[in-house]
Amino acid sequence: MNATALLSAAKDGILTGAVYALMATGLTLIFGVMDIINLAQGTFVVLAAYLSYALQVHWHIDLFVGLLITTPAMFIIGVVIERVFIARLKGPDRTGMSILVTYAVWLLIEGTLDLVFSSNDVQLQGWYVPKSFTVGAIHFGYIYVAGFILAALLLGALYFMLYRTRFGVSVRASLADQTSAALVGIDVKRVSTITFGLGAAVTAAGGMIYGATNAFNASSSYDLISRLLTIIVLGGMGSLGGALLAGILMVFVGDIVGVIWSPVWSTTAYFVVLVLVLLWRPQGLFGKTQARVA
Amino acid sequence: MSEALVTFKGVVAGYGGGDVLKGVDFAVQPGGVTCIVGPNGSGKSTLLKTASGLVRPRLGEILFKGQNLVGMTPRDILKLGIVQVPQNHSLFREMTVEQNVELGAFLERDRRVVAERLARIREMFPIVADRAQDKAGSLSGGQQRLVEFARCLMLEPELVILDEPSMGLDPKTLKVMFGTIRMMRDAGRTILLVEQNARQALKMAERGVVLENGQVRLTGSGLEVLHNPEIGALYLGGSLEEARHPQS
Repeated sequence: MNATALLSAAKDGILTGAVYALMATGLTLIFGVMDIINLAQGTFVVLAAYLSYALQVHWHIDLFVGLLITTPAMFIIGVVIERVFIARLKGPDRTGMSILVTYAVWLLIEGTLDLVFSSNDVQLQGWYVPKSFTVGAIHFGYIYVAGFILAALLLGALYFMLYRTRFGVSVRASLADQTSAALVGIDVKRVSTITFGLGAAVTAAGGMIYGATNAFNASSSYDLISRLLTIIVLGGMGSLGGALLAGILMVFVGDIVGVIWSPVWSTTAYFVVLVLVLLWRPQGLFGKTQARVA
Repeated sequence: MSEALVTFKGVVAGYGGGDVLKGVDFAVQPGGVTCIVGPNGSGKSTLLKTASGLVRPRLGEILFKGQNLVGMTPRDILKLGIVQVPQNHSLFREMTVEQNVELGAFLERDRRVVAERLARIREMFPIVADRAQDKAGSLSGGQQRLVEFARCLMLEPELVILDEPSMGLDPKTLKVMFGTIRMMRDAGRTILLVEQNARQALKMAERGVVLENGQVRLTGSGLEVLHNPEIGALYLGGSLEEARHPQS
């Protein structure tokens, strides 16, 4: 294995992994604040990709400009889903029930997308999608670099929101302990709704980059959700930094194994890393060992 | 007797598996400490949770200065000036001591007011000043309890609800904690207290309430409850004689 292949794998890990991390961030925030495992997160990504596709095909709106529409659209979709389906879940079985409910939401969205767009693969287009530049011997696709910058900006914005705003304080307090948050006057219900909306909103950018770098159809959510779930398990449930590191690690390990061995083993290798990390740290890389006080 | 600050009227509440409170009636007078005692499972903590909005009563009323609290959210109840320090440690462990205390005034949007209150709290609770930038999770159990007290005063509440504040504290810290409750009382707060260390709490309390099987069995002054032979033998641990002649 030469240095170029290693650097190339590292590049892919960082550029693509950051986009996966952005998509997984929504999942980890939703779980952290609400104790909800949102199985529909993968299908949110695909839905967002189709929204970009529709804007591009029907109104010729550029993929990046389209984010100004798809991001608030996904936020609103998230808020509506939370109000209609998730907010009704109460009691000690809430987390378990959320798996069933969000799976139902997933099937609903997937079925609708299948009806509207058919099951044929599509891919988002733009003049920059096939273009690349070279540094040394390593190729950088424009869309991958743009995806990384977008993911970094959005993760930075999320970080700013969490650590520098009043709403962020509410989110962090709710992440730590919902009862204690309620007792200092935080409206945990409202925080949950907005967090679910934000978790869906980040899939707008993630879905657009995913759709520009992969051919997709309504069923692509199956592959996506398994990746996103393993990212947040590896990174530690509720940890943004953990999601970022795990996203990069997932792509990096897959690429390295693909180069030195065979792409067939890429996914397996990542899962081996996941199992080894969980044997060492069952709570994931940045997860907390202490159980949340109910 | 002055008009009650809080009145529980026929409060019935539980968690879905049956009622824990089966018609609770009593009043909390303004000022001083009201201490609720009773055996495990009598509904003491549940009663406090109904007052802070964490548990919604199925039947009955809880009147705070004439306004019914039933159906209100904890946030709305907090706005009325009722704060609760729960039984489990409730500080946000990853935040600093100062951030935790500031969160006590989350509903107060005027930063100047929050800063003024924080300055006062720092004087009342030296630990808030001394450990301001330390993570709350690094404090001992007793220190965390004091910071929780400090935090609950940031809204300048009228009623402070304390649920077993001495739980898990060593004797030395216990003394400091009871001293702090007296300090809060002397500062004009009304304290509604559930305490496993019932003997010490009743000695300090102006009023005592005995809860048994989800209903009020006895009310009186703290000392009357403490010296009631039956109650002393049944709920306070120790002998009748001891109950009649408590060590000071």
